Amino acid sequence: MGTSDILTSLLLIPFIGSIIIGLLPNKAARPLALIASGMLIVVSAYLWSNFSLDVHGMQFVQKINWINYPIPISYHVGIDGMSLCLVALTAFVTLMAVLASEKVGENRSKFYYSLVLLLTTSILGVFVSLDLVQFFVLYELELVPMYFLIAIWGGPRRDYAAMKFLLYTFLGGIFMLAGILYLYFQLNAAGVLPATFDMVELAKQAPNLTPAVQALACLGFMLAFIIKLPSFPFHTWLPDAHVEAPTPISMILAALLLKMGSYGLVRICMGFFPDVIVTYGAWIIALGCFNIVWAAIACLVQTDMKRIIAFSSVSHMGFILVGIGSLSALALNGAVFQMISHGIISAALFFLVGTVYDRVHTRNLVEIGGGLAKQMPYIFYFWMLAALANLGLPALSGFVAEALVFYGAFTSPMASVLQHPMFVRGCLAFAALGVILTAGYMLWLLKRLFYGPEQAKWAGHLTDMTLNEKVIASALSVLIIFLGIYPLWLSKKYTSLTDNMCQNIVSKNKIGMR
Amino acid sequence: MSDVSPLLQSAYWIVLAPVIAASAIILSYLLGIKINRTVAMGLSVGAVAYGFIHSILIFLVLRDNATPYVTNIDWFVVSNFKLAVGLLVDNLAAVMLIVVTTVSLLVQIYTHGYMREDPGYSRFYAYLSLFTASMLGLVVSTNLFQMYIFWELVGVCSYFLIGFWWYKPSAAYACLKAFVVNRVGDFGFLVGILFLLLATFGFWQAHNDQGILMFMDPSGHGVDLSGAIQWGMQHGTLTTTFLGIGALTLISILIFMGPMAKSAQVPLHVWLPDAMEGPTPISALIHAATMVAAGVYMVARAYPIWLNWTDPLHPTVVGAEGLTVVAWIGGITAFIAATIALTQFDIKRTLAWSTVSQLGYMFVGLGVGAFTGGIFHLFNHAFFKAMLFLCSGVVIHGLHGEQDMRNMGGLRKPMFWTSLCFLIGTLSISGFPGLSGFFSKDEIIVGAWDFKGYGHEILGWLMIFTAGLTAFYMFRMYLMTFCGEYRGQAHPHKDSAWSPLTTPLLVLAVPSILSGYLGCNLDVLKSFSLNPNAFSQFIHFGQHAHVEEPNHMVMLISIAVSLSGMVLAFLVYMTKALPINTWLTNAAICKPFYNLFYNKWCFDYIYEDIFLKKILLPVYTGIWNLIDMLIIDNIVNLNRTLALVAAEVLKHTENGRGQYYAMVIFACVAGITLYVWLYVR
Repeated sequence: MGTSDILTSLLLIPFIGSIIIGLLPNKAARPLALIASGMLIVVSAYLWSNFSLDVHGMQFVQKINWINYPIPISYHVGIDGMSLCLVALTAFVTLMAVLASEKVGENRSKFYYSLVLLLTTSILGVFVSLDLVQFFVLYELELVPMYFLIAIWGGPRRDYAAMKFLLYTFLGGIFMLAGILYLYFQLNAAGVLPATFDMVELAKQAPNLTPAVQALACLGFMLAFIIKLPSFPFHTWLPDAHVEAPTPISMILAALLLKMGSYGLVRICMGFFPDVIVTYGAWIIALGCFNIVWAAIACLVQTDMKRIIAFSSVSHMGFILVGIGSLSALALNGAVFQMISHGIISAALFFLVGTVYDRVHTRNLVEIGGGLAKQMPYIFYFWMLAALANLGLPALSGFVAEALVFYGAFTSPMASVLQHPMFVRGCLAFAALGVILTAGYMLWLLKRLFYGPEQAKWAGHLTDMTLNEKVIASALSVLIIFLGIYPLWLSKKYTSLTDNMCQNIVSKNKIGMR
Repeated sequence: MSDVSPLLQSAYWIVLAPVIAASAIILSYLLGIKINRTVAMGLSVGAVAYGFIHSILIFLVLRDNATPYVTNIDWFVVSNFKLAVGLLVDNLAAVMLIVVTTVSLLVQIYTHGYMREDPGYSRFYAYLSLFTASMLGLVVSTNLFQMYIFWELVGVCSYFLIGFWWYKPSAAYACLKAFVVNRVGDFGFLVGILFLLLATFGFWQAHNDQGILMFMDPSGHGVDLSGAIQWGMQHGTLTTTFLGIGALTLISILIFMGPMAKSAQVPLHVWLPDAMEGPTPISALIHAATMVAAGVYMVARAYPIWLNWTDPLHPTVVGAEGLTVVAWIGGITAFIAATIALTQFDIKRTLAWSTVSQLGYMFVGLGVGAFTGGIFHLFNHAFFKAMLFLCSGVVIHGLHGEQDMRNMGGLRKPMFWTSLCFLIGTLSISGFPGLSGFFSKDEIIVGAWDFKGYGHEILGWLMIFTAGLTAFYMFRMYLMTFCGEYRGQAHPHKDSAWSPLTTPLLVLAVPSILSGYLGCNLDVLKSFSLNPNAFSQFIHFGQHAHVEEPNHMVMLISIAVSLSGMVLAFLVYMTKALPINTWLTNAAICKPFYNLFYNKWCFDYIYEDIFLKKILLPVYTGIWNLIDMLIIDNIVNLNRTLALVAAEVLKHTENGRGQYYAMVIFACVAGITLYVWLYVR
């Protein structure tokens, strides 16, 4: 097996694992799933250590032609720095989710673990695909396992939530398909080159199209990705899906599925259509800023702890939109950092929501009424850490992303060429209100869960963390702290990519500081 | 660079040592290793004791005119941007290091006595170490970005410690309030930093090897805040106006929101008195050395931002709008907090309000240009306020948790050493001649007297009047607690000179009496072969020491006002010659004022009951329900209706006949093929 097959094996491990689990008895399902996700960790560690920082462009590329006529479709995989980080995140969060599935997975074991691994296959596939059709197929494939995982193992309103998730995401898929086809036929019509679905090629060709065509094509992709992200006004599926999904699935949903949207935004919307970002960047920033504040306000009026965390995801995804719209190397860097950092923090938070829910059997903060710290001090401390990371405390990973986005977007070369540079900065200053709101809702959540006198109804029958839970929470926490203190460890993998992206756009459009 | 003392180069260990101590305690807890309480205490106290010794050595090195030491490492780098963190040791930092480590060391020793029976003893030490480390990190920060990092860390440690007794609802509320109010300040701080960075971005880009927003340039090329602002004024990026206010003034006011919250200035002061819900050692640490000092230190550190840069080459204090704002916020705070302190009965809260008031004095000092005076007051205040808080802790501990002064009295006998220390602290804070508070407060009042900015006629008098109020409420406290007859139920413990509770008090009493002579500007000192103005020669802004000439007239007035405050308190609370309580409850003129002061000028009421509960949350909920439920879900549901209609139509096409389906599929494929053949090839 040469290095060019390594990404294929990365995809095959969970896929074959999911088939084998389906064939063997229920008892073997969990160990096998653990082995498969462990192997993913090994493969991504191999990728991480063998990834060369000196090479520009894709690495570990493998391309096999599949169909040539009438449309050229191939199996084409490869990674650059950003995909590498997301692949590593996927492997890590999958392992955590499988570990956390101890209880959920007891019901219909093999079906459950098989679906989880299928889901992982499709997520990994999205991050490594270099063929647009393949990208689309894997992007849509994720719907199937996710629908069943919510609809079978979910909470009381699971049917509604699963259907809402399916409809929204499917709608996004249609927009993307329209975008793909429109792009393909327009390139053909332009007739400059034989049209292709090769994403590396497309990134070179698409910018040559006329601005109107680019804008329309970009719109299709953009709609698909901001539904997935999700962003206002398409965000209402997320809280419902999260509330009904079982804990490990919520972890995957928040940590990985949302990242497919943000990855697509950077890879396709920004990579293929930089001129569109130049033209509409200010509005993307405005949308991102609005998301940050709006979803934070939403968190303040919720009483369901899982809904609060879900809305806080929407709020944090706003930073990614700001990073993309700003065209600043620093802010884009922060946006990619936010993908990883939010992946870890939200996985930790949803996991911790699950640990509390397993014990008190309600998510309603009014019913819980506080005072849990007495019975479960370990859960309390891990909660505190994750909550502080979520509100952007320095020395934890959430701060890095937020600081980079704010510092970068504020000094962005973008803002100074727009007609209304102060509009962008006004939006950002408005978004900085999120600093207050996030602190407010996260700490209020902590207060309503853990602080206050011990409740009589909980006395005696609540247990603290099990060893399995401690392992998961510690692994996530260590990463949160490590990335917060030494962010360069992560960012050096993709800095040259984001730098180049912004540099090219800026120099091509002759954007400069005043 | 080669002759830099290794003592300065290794100063980062002062910050790292407490971090290591805290990590060790936390890790052992997580891994389930039961460590002895003494080990936890030893680690924590040992770390800060090391820091204390190292700080003293640094001070000695710098006193011999060593050059300040600055070093940076890259924390985050992209092509055109560098965020650095580093280590800065200069005179100002050295003084702060000594203050922080001294107070923290004594507080930690005291904690051993105070928290001995608490189940969270080790955890408390871990938090204390983290708190100290955050503050030390803030002190040695080389740039505004790094300062913001530690600024937040200080805030979160205070959150841990105020909410240390999480089962108390009041503590749970207080820690939340402290953090959120601080975040309001941080919002302004962040936006201010961003605008400052924006206006000076070209400057930092031109010197990309350093990093951004540096306080000091080690190479001496002026790549620091002053240089950046100068550049901004010359290139016109900072001379623009917004609503008639200069850009730099606006930035300085935004950034000042940070210190307003951290150092509890009106209108963001509301968290500090509630922070008394934490254990008393924490109150002492927050109020003397760590948290609240951060704001004053930040203004001193980033002083150029507040100056008047009309002539870019010669920035001045005179006519600086930013500084005027600082001075007036400080002055108003000092006055309001003093009036509130007059009426409170909780011993710790009264001290808390006195801290707010004294912090106001420090900002007045910085704001009117008495840079040295402001820092000098911070220095002196740290010692006597820490001592006063620790005294109140001994009293509360000795009375089994009683905090209401109405249930105290006569404690001088059982708690002799404590009452002695409290008296020293009271005299010092009241500005009694010869004690430390007198010297620094006098420098500030003289500075306010010579102030040239907006409202200069009033500020000096306001400060003198507030000094009188200070003397009154401090003596009221002392007399109510320690003199007269005991009014409580609980049996008070006796204190002794040699216990972990009282020894730190006695140690702190020494600087509370003497530290003022470091900055004494009277020539009398020379006759004792001491160096007058030692402090102002060590700490000053700009190239040359600025020595305030003693203004004997002002000095005499302020002494007279302070003394009359003391005498008045004595007449009211000791001899009961003045029946002030009957006046207050009966006289129609006094009563509204008394109620205003007693209700803390209604800040809490306005913020919580009106702003938060009546306006903010209902509006949020309303808008939220309106848009998210009504509009968005209705659009979705409308789509559902459309889909249903479409289904009604389409279901007639789905009639279950195989041939019909096959025909449709065929037609589609044929259509696509035709399209591809015609247009695509």
